[in-house]
Amino acid sequence: MPPFSLVTPTSVEEAVAELRTVAPGEVAVLAGGTDLSFDLDRAGPSLRRVLSLRRLPWRTLDWNGPVLTVGSTLPLRSLEEDPGISRRHPGLYQAIRAVGGVPLRHRATLGGNLGRASPASDLLPVLLVLDAEVDLVGPAGSRSVGVDRFLLGPRRTVLAHDELIRSVRFPEPRPSAYLWQRVRPANDISQIAVAAAFSPSERRWRLAVGGIPPRATRLPDAEQRLASSVAPTDPELRPMAEEASRQLPIAGDRRRASEEYRRHLVGVLLSRAVRAAAAHLSEGAR
Amino acid sequence: MTHRPLSIAVNGTARSLDDVPDSERLLDTIRWRLGLKGTKEGCRSGECGACTVLVDGVSTLSCLTLSREVDGTSLTTVEGVADDPVGKEVAEAFARAGAVQCGYCTPGFVMALVGLLKERGRSATVEELLADLGGNLCRCTGYLSIARAVALLSRESP
Ligand SMILES: Cc1cc2nc3c(=O)[nH]c(=O)nc-3n(C[C@H](O)[C@H](O)[C@H](O)COP(=O)(O)OP(=O)(O)OC[C@H]3O[C@@H](n4cnc5c(N)ncnc54)[C@H](O)[C@@H]3O)c2cc1C
Ligand code: FES
Ligand code: FES
Repeated sequence: MPPFSLVTPTSVEEAVAELRTVAPGEVAVLAGGTDLSFDLDRAGPSLRRVLSLRRLPWRTLDWNGPVLTVGSTLPLRSLEEDPGISRRHPGLYQAIRAVGGVPLRHRATLGGNLGRASPASDLLPVLLVLDAEVDLVGPAGSRSVGVDRFLLGPRRTVLAHDELIRSVRFPEPRPSAYLWQRVRPANDISQIAVAAAFSPSERRWRLAVGGIPPRATRLPDAEQRLASSVAPTDPELRPMAEEASRQLPIAGDRRRASEEYRRHLVGVLLSRAVRAAAAHLSEGAR
Repeated sequence: MTHRPLSIAVNGTARSLDDVPDSERLLDTIRWRLGLKGTKEGCRSGECGACTVLVDGVSTLSCLTLSREVDGTSLTTVEGVADDPVGKEVAEAFARAGAVQCGYCTPGFVMALVGLLKERGRSATVEELLADLGGNLCRCTGYLSIARAVALLSRESP
């Protein structure tokens, strides 16, 4: 590990200015460090600075009417422990609980999960079906990007070298569910994972899949098959499952599971996820 | 490079450590600088839980944490649990349940469990506690004796 120096700015301006003074490969941004530690162990001698976000005022969670804003450096465990999350965003709650163990979640953050943009991320499929907006801050000010546009590919995002993720916004509570399939339940990577959410304002289902490269993705054609049915019946779910299985963008990838198995699983898990989300809806979770 | 000393309270005693490099991991500070070898290194990559300690009472993987990131906090390692009522109870439950074989995973399990009981109080069920220990691995016990120790500590225990 190279002998980098750790910088801990106390203001956003200072942090952004710090990023501007160093060339891209010479600085790394540190939130919880659960992913970055791996990179630090393998970093070359060009890494000179590590910019810690620990002193920035971003460990926040705000409900403003239906809108939830989560600061990028809030530990996932704190997000999970907020009673509003399990009640109003059940799928997000399930996805957070799927990330590592409790001591990991005490440090791991939402900003770090987005920054890493791993194809195996458990949070990105849910962020997609909840239409989360990523708030970025840089030298030119702030901008917001929908998660779908934010993600480019494995470890690739639209984030510029001198930009930081400040917060993530969820526009409305949605009955939602997140389900995964793994060899071992804890501390393992999903062979495939699915998220489903029903938007009450648009009266439409959103479906997404994760656990496969290059990135978490929505499945628009499968969504179409559900039309606007709030509580789809089994005969309505079947064409959705078949479409998802066909549409799954997985050609050739055999890491962790065969293509055939994953095509089968995606339909099964999505049907269960839609049923689970619909059950939240009928329980009156709004 | 000159550095401010790193100040942390270690098991209740304020410590000031000189010359801690910015890149040093908390696990190494604990084992090699403080000489507290109870905290174990299993994988150094976050996957086994053997290095779990409490930072301001909150369970943390010391192998994934830079020491300078916990400057100013109070640290509890397995050496400090005997001074804590909850810690003492957890250690006793492990002994009573025979939940220790080679013992390499034990400090991590104990610290993770102490952290959970402090976070949740005694309201947690056995199932919840076991699910929340999912990040800790044990190669010896097959987990049954650890589950028995957890059962002794949950509200469902007689
Ligand atoms: C043992 C283990 C198990 C894991 N299990 C899971 C799992 O089950 N599911 C899952 O999804 N993930 C898992 N992870 C991955 C990781 O814990 C998560 O992705 C976590 O959310 C990362 O957050 P962090 O704060 O630790 O990120 P960091 O490691 O601090 O940062 C990750 C990346 O994002 C960048 N970054 C961080 N914050 C910002 C910001 N605010 N603005 C701009 N860039 C930023 C960093 O520069 C870095 O490139 C696991 C990791 C380990 C080690
Ligand atoms: S040594 Fe830290 S989790 Fe294994
Ligand atoms: S007792 Fe040996 S690893 Fe758990």
